[in-house]
Amino acid sequence: MRIHFRSALVPLVLILSAGVNAQVPAPKRDLSGVWGLLPAREVSEDDKQSPGGEVPPMTAWAKARFDLEKPGYGKRAAPGGNDPILQCDPMGFPRILYFPAPFEFAQISNRVLQMFERDNVVRQIWTDGRALPNDPDPLWYGYSTGKWVDDTTFVVESTGYDDRTWLGAAGFPHSETMRLEERYQRVDRDTINFTLKIDDPQAYTKPWIALPRVLKLRPRAEIRQGYCVASEENAFTKRIREPGALKTGAAPKN
Amino acid sequence: MPEPNEGRNPGTGGRVATRHCIGRIGVISIKATGNTTRMKKLTRPLLLLALLLCAGALFAHHGNSAYDETARVPIKGTVTEFIWTNPHSQIYLDVKDSSGKVVNWGVETNSPGILTRAGWTRRSLKAGDQITIILCPAKNGQPVAYAGSGDPGTKVIFADGRELLFADKTAGP
Repeated sequence: MRIHFRSALVPLVLILSAGVNAQVPAPKRDLSGVWGLLPAREVSEDDKQSPGGEVPPMTAWAKARFDLEKPGYGKRAAPGGNDPILQCDPMGFPRILYFPAPFEFAQISNRVLQMFERDNVVRQIWTDGRALPNDPDPLWYGYSTGKWVDDTTFVVESTGYDDRTWLGAAGFPHSETMRLEERYQRVDRDTINFTLKIDDPQAYTKPWIALPRVLKLRPRAEIRQGYCVASEENAFTKRIREPGALKTGAAPKN
Repeated sequence: MPEPNEGRNPGTGGRVATRHCIGRIGVISIKATGNTTRMKKLTRPLLLLALLLCAGALFAHHGNSAYDETARVPIKGTVTEFIWTNPHSQIYLDVKDSSGKVVNWGVETNSPGILTRAGWTRRSLKAGDQITIILCPAKNGQPVAYAGSGDPGTKVIFADGRELLFADKTAGP
C-alpha cells in the first residue's frame, strides 16, 4: 500500500513543482509593468551605468571630448570630476536605463511611456507610425519611435540626443546624431531580453553593440520620485564628496 | 535587483569586488589625529590577517575610488543627523575615539528610492540612536565613508542587535 502511495505521490510532486517553475507565457504586445535589469556580469572598470560590451574605436572628434571628461569610474577615475550628474544635469539615455533603479513601461494609445525613477523622467516612444525627424533639435532623452515586429518584440529607434550626456559613468561621449535601436523581446511574462545597438559614426568607427541584458518583471516594486535636487546635491558635495576627494593628509574644508 | 556598485556617488569612483574584511575581526575604534585616521586595538598581526583575507578583493579592485571598498570597517557612535535626500541620503554620527575626542562622521548612503525598496523610511534613524555602521571609509583618512547597496556587507546595527540592510526587498516575483 505504501508503495502505491509513493507511486502516486512522486508524479504529483513533479507536476506541482513543474507548475511552480513553469514560465507564464508573455502577453501579446504588452510591456506594461515595472522592470529591473538583472546583473549581467562582473562589472568591469569602464561599464558602470553603461551599455557594456566592446566599446568600438572612437573617432578623433569623440576622443577629443573623451579626453576632457573626468569620470568617477573606470580606468581614468579620480575623486572629484566633471560627470554631468554631479550637478544633477540630466543623465540621458541609455545611461538612465543602466542606473540601479527599476523603471516602468506604460502603454497608451499612441505611445509607450518609459518612466524612470531618476528625475522622474518620462521617455515618450511614439507608436503611431511616425518617422524619426531628419534634423531634430536635441533632447536630453532623444526622440523615439517604436513598433511591434511580432507579438512579443518591441523595437525602438531613436535619435536627437543632447550630446552633453555620457554613455555611462566612465565618460564615453556621443553625438547629437547618434541613433539607437533597442529591442525588447518579452520571452515570458516575467522576462524581457534586451539588446541595444548604438550607431554613431561621428563618435565611433563602427556600431557599438551593447551587452545583451535581461529585464525581470518587478511586481512588488514601485517607481518613486527620484529627483536629483541641485541644492541637496551641492550640500552633499560640501559635506561628504569634497572631503572624500581631498588628497591624503589635506585639511578638510569644513 | 540593483546592479552592485552603480548607485554610488560617481565622484567617488568604482569598485569591482567586495568582501567582508576587517569587519569580521571586530569593532575597532577610530582616532582622528590631525588629518589622519588610525586604527587602535587592532594589533598588527590581526591587521595583516585582515589584509590577507582581503587580498582577492584588493587584486580585483582597479578603480580609483575615494572610498576603500575592499574594507568593511565598523564605526560605532551616536546619530546626529539622518538626511533623507536624493540622490544621496546621508548619516552623520558622533564617534568617540580612544582619547575621548568626538569626531563627526558623514556616511553617504543610497537614494530614498533604493532605501525604500530595502525597507527603510525617513524615520529609520534619528538623532540620538546608538549604532554601529559597517562601512567603507574614505581612503584619505577623512571621517567620511560609504555604506549602501553598492557595497554588499555594509549595514547599520542598532545597540539591541537589530540591523538595517541595503538589499532590495522587492526583487523577485
